Amino acid sequence: MATTTATITLSSSDLLSNVLSFSDTTTLTLAGNATGLSLTSGLGRTNFTNDPVQGKVIYRSDDATTNGANKVYLKNMSATATEYFTVYIDQEEMGRLYAGDFAFFPWAATGGVKEVFTTTIGGTWVVGETFEFDGVLITAATTSVNSIATQVNSAYYPNWTTTIANSDEVTFTARHSMDAGTVVTATADIVIVQTGGSDATAVVSAAAMGTATSSDIIVVPSVVTTMDLEHILFKQ
Amino acid sequence: MATTTNSLTLTSTDLFDDSLSISNTSTCYKAGTTIGLDQTTGLTRTYLTATTVIDLFPVVKGTTNAVENGKVYIANLSEDETEFVTINIGDAVIGRLYAGDFMWMPWSPRAQHVNDIELAPSVATGMHVEFMAIHNFANIYPTGVDS
Repeated sequence: MATTTATITLSSSDLLSNVLSFSDTTTLTLAGNATGLSLTSGLGRTNFTNDPVQGKVIYRSDDATTNGANKVYLKNMSATATEYFTVYIDQEEMGRLYAGDFAFFPWAATGGVKEVFTTTIGGTWVVGETFEFDGVLITAATTSVNSIATQVNSAYYPNWTTTIANSDEVTFTARHSMDAGTVVTATADIVIVQTGGSDATAVVSAAAMGTATSSDIIVVPSVVTTMDLEHILFKQ
Repeated sequence: MATTTNSLTLTSTDLFDDSLSISNTSTCYKAGTTIGLDQTTGLTRTYLTATTVIDLFPVVKGTTNAVENGKVYIANLSEDETEFVTINIGDAVIGRLYAGDFMWMPWSPRAQHVNDIELAPSVATGMHVEFMAIHNFANIYPTGVDS
């Protein structure tokens, strides 16, 4: 197990009539026990230069254990006092990090459910017919539905991962929890281009809708000129 | 103007192959300026014996605050590692502070119950918590009580 220590110190000689000075130290442990957190995103630095202003998801709830003892650190690297990042959890504004400001807070990482559907490669395929989904085009190299299913499974999809359940069934799982409605229709937006009068099919045989996450960490810069954010996630 | 300094260090010698050492110091300024924040709720220490949600820094009813650069510190003083407090802001759950954990975050409450920071203990057997806001809001109560 790793030992990671966080220490905060607050001090002021003139905020009150007496000196304010206190310090607190904690060791980052798993929820409900004394074992140290051993997973982290690493210290990242993200640049924002977009016109118009555009926010970014810094950490997705899918990436950490819900209600774990996750901790998030954010710092606005700007040196211009008027520049800030607005920090959101999902759609709830936490506050603004002005130039040089930082935050360190626990994170529930309340996840959603990833959409899943299974498609069965069926019918009679002709070499050269195509299967298209998520912007990826697969061209049948054989007439075997099992081999075509293997081709479909082997491709890289930007928004989905795949597995083969049975030899001709490919299961697609969304990379992120969302409620995009992709599998509302039975086709799941799969496009089959048939040639030569074949009856090639990729029927969706099972599907489950996803639900959106509710605690992604999102930051929005205040200006379109360049701003940098440093960040690290300690997670379980 | 007041000068309130905050520093945070994050260190580990065995989380990575190499050491992790992050150290930061900042001054608590009013939004968009280099003028120090000049109000504070004071460091409150309270003993909670119910799992009831409490509003740590209530906004005065019927008032609004300008968008500002307040800072919030909250610590769970429990020594029982299974005990935690759940921290919410508005409709969102921020996360759980387990025994000994603390947090430091920016905060800008606009109106009552809009983005209040709330805390709920996990047990009713008694937990000590500490909390403090450093701010320049015109309309938040000076004590951390429910509204």
